[in-house]
Amino acid sequence: MPGLLQSKEMEGSELIWLEALRQKGEAAFEQSGIPTAKTEAWKYTKLRMLNADDFEFPSSEEQTCHCGCHRHDGEDEHCHCEGHDCTCHVDFPFEGYVLRFKNGAFVAPHPKLPEGVEVMTLMEAAHLEEDVKAKLGKLIELDNYPFAALNTAYLEEGLFINIRKGVKLEKPLIIDHLARPQDKNLFWNLRHLIVVENGADAEIIENYRYRGAEKSRYFANIVSEIYVGRNAKLRHYKLQDEAFKACHLALSAVQVKADGNYRHFCAQKGADVGRNEVVVKLVEEGAEARVDAAYKMSGWATLDTTTDIRHLAPHTKSEQLVKGVVDGDAKGVFQGRIHIAPDSQQTEGRQLHQALLLSDRAEVDVKPELEIFADDVKCSHGAASGELDEEQLFYMRSRGIDADEARQILVEAFLDDALMQVEDEAVRIWLKSVLQ
Amino acid sequence: MSALLEIEDLYARVGDKEVIKNLNLTINEGEVHAIMGPNGAGKSTLSYVLSGKPGYEVTSGSIRFKGKDLCSLSTEERAREGIFLCLQYPVEIPGVPVSTFLKHAVNAVRKHQNLPELDTFEFLKTLRAEGKKLGIDNEMLKRPINVGFSGGEKKRLETLQMTILKPVFSILDEADSGLDIDALKVVAEGINALRNEHNSMLVITHYQRLLQYIVPDVVHIFADGHIVKSGDKSLAAELEETGYAAYRNE
Ligand SMILES: Nc1ncnc2c1ncn2[C@@H]1O[C@H](COP(=O)(O)OP(=O)(O)OP(=O)(O)O)[C@@H](O)[C@H]1O
Ligand SMILES: [Mg+2]
Repeated sequence: MPGLLQSKEMEGSELIWLEALRQKGEAAFEQSGIPTAKTEAWKYTKLRMLNADDFEFPSSEEQTCHCGCHRHDGEDEHCHCEGHDCTCHVDFPFEGYVLRFKNGAFVAPHPKLPEGVEVMTLMEAAHLEEDVKAKLGKLIELDNYPFAALNTAYLEEGLFINIRKGVKLEKPLIIDHLARPQDKNLFWNLRHLIVVENGADAEIIENYRYRGAEKSRYFANIVSEIYVGRNAKLRHYKLQDEAFKACHLALSAVQVKADGNYRHFCAQKGADVGRNEVVVKLVEEGAEARVDAAYKMSGWATLDTTTDIRHLAPHTKSEQLVKGVVDGDAKGVFQGRIHIAPDSQQTEGRQLHQALLLSDRAEVDVKPELEIFADDVKCSHGAASGELDEEQLFYMRSRGIDADEARQILVEAFLDDALMQVEDEAVRIWLKSVLQ
Repeated sequence: MSALLEIEDLYARVGDKEVIKNLNLTINEGEVHAIMGPNGAGKSTLSYVLSGKPGYEVTSGSIRFKGKDLCSLSTEERAREGIFLCLQYPVEIPGVPVSTFLKHAVNAVRKHQNLPELDTFEFLKTLRAEGKKLGIDNEMLKRPINVGFSGGEKKRLETLQMTILKPVFSILDEADSGLDIDALKVVAEGINALRNEHNSMLVITHYQRLLQYIVPDVVHIFADGHIVKSGDKSLAAELEETGYAAYRNE
């Protein structure tokens, strides 16, 4: 069995610092291996599939067309196909600058971007931008994050996004990732570096979807490092709707400086194993973060939301609301840590997880952790899980509403207050409809 | 005058407790019947049995509605056939606005009648107009149903739902509880507006006061799971004097 560490020719090997970083990643992953149930951070989310199957990197000729329609226009390498069966383009019900990926690789071209917004592939940026060397890999302790280590070993594909000082982006950047599963098991690593400079304001949406062989396995390993500057604001929204045999593991490591504001919302409904992990370091006074999520699942899936909010400065604030609907034999996992460092006085950290269990076999595992080393703080956490309320169901049915419809209305209502945290109304409506 | 609801030799239980015992009651089209009786007699249980609430089991006897067996219908089917239960304790549903809830309900009933879905704009116009008559403002229609509503507001909202859904047969379980004197009039007017030669009602109450506004054709005294005495509206006044002492344990 080849395992997940396989030889791969990569761009940028002439950059000494980059090679050194990759090697550090490789060494860390060799040390840890694929986590087992004995690894505390992974005890609820089983990764049997990664051990049981072989995975290979997509070959480069598979990368050229976004949709696999093979109806290209002469020498032009991107697709102009408008056929009904073409999935190159998905229409988002809102405007934005769409950046397309297929099977872990960027698909040109870049959209035209307004002044002060730079987007390039990470490898382009690694050659051009000093900032990349200074920031890449700096927000993640590789020894504690096996898959971030693996991702670092294959650091190549992905984007460098830079919102310059004071720039207010009017429309969101949309990172639209299409998985085209095949008869062999594919595996890709994707790495983004996002810098929102002081006083800038931006919205980034990550969309993970798939087309084609439903039952194929693939493993998407995604890491984003995000720097939110002083007085800057980033709204970071994500939809995970991968194929149902897929494994999607994502880590967003975020640093927020003074009076900066980071808002994260993740909707998960796809994959066999899906994990969205968010680590936020509030490093200067007045930094704030909201990390919210909603997940809805059935079958045998495991969907995991793991958060770690580190209050490393006084007057910092964080809030989390995570809601899940679990049906069938599925399992929801929530691990949420709030860490308040010594001297981080007058901080506020709140966390709430609520799950709705729609079947007897559905399960949720919840592990809240508060690590508080300062005394003048307001902290709270809570977790609850329950079933649909029979009285509410009866009340709706007694007005003529079909039992199934009543259940659906109640499920939507349950997720509603988490979704309300999505500030962008058009995105909220989109996510709501996807979770229906 | 034809019978709308016919209950014959009915026995029903909730959990393992037999609550309805040998009940017989016929309500004709256009009639309003009042039921009065001591706490725990089984009045609310009867209303749930008629609505087909899960957990309320008919053990013997029969219920016919418009000549058809009612027990074989689900709760929502009964509602679509025109049965409406105004609950003694209306249920709170966080996250579901009143207007959304009622739009689903109205369209479910319309679908059953092979009518097209209501246009949202038209629906909201009607809802607002009817709400206004009952003292329910637009803000309340946007709030999650019954959440944080006062006792009286909940009863008004039940009445609004009834007005909008236009049931053929309404069961009003203590529609008057929690209402101040003015609200009682408003709610009673709303209910009376639905009275006609086809629509019937079963009004459960502890107080004669409501029956002065919604004047019943027949008054029943209900104790220990069945009707122990029936009469005209004067029976309610009489009860107010004597209480239930004479009817307990028959
Ligand atoms: N789920 C249940 N399990 C067991 N007993 C029940 C249940 N629901 C009701 N009962 C019992 O059935 C009896 C009748 O209750 P019901 O609510 O129908 O009375 P009621 O006539 O409406 O009284 P009130 O005037 O107080 O509203 C009561 O003794 C009550 O405790
Ligand atoms: Mg009662």
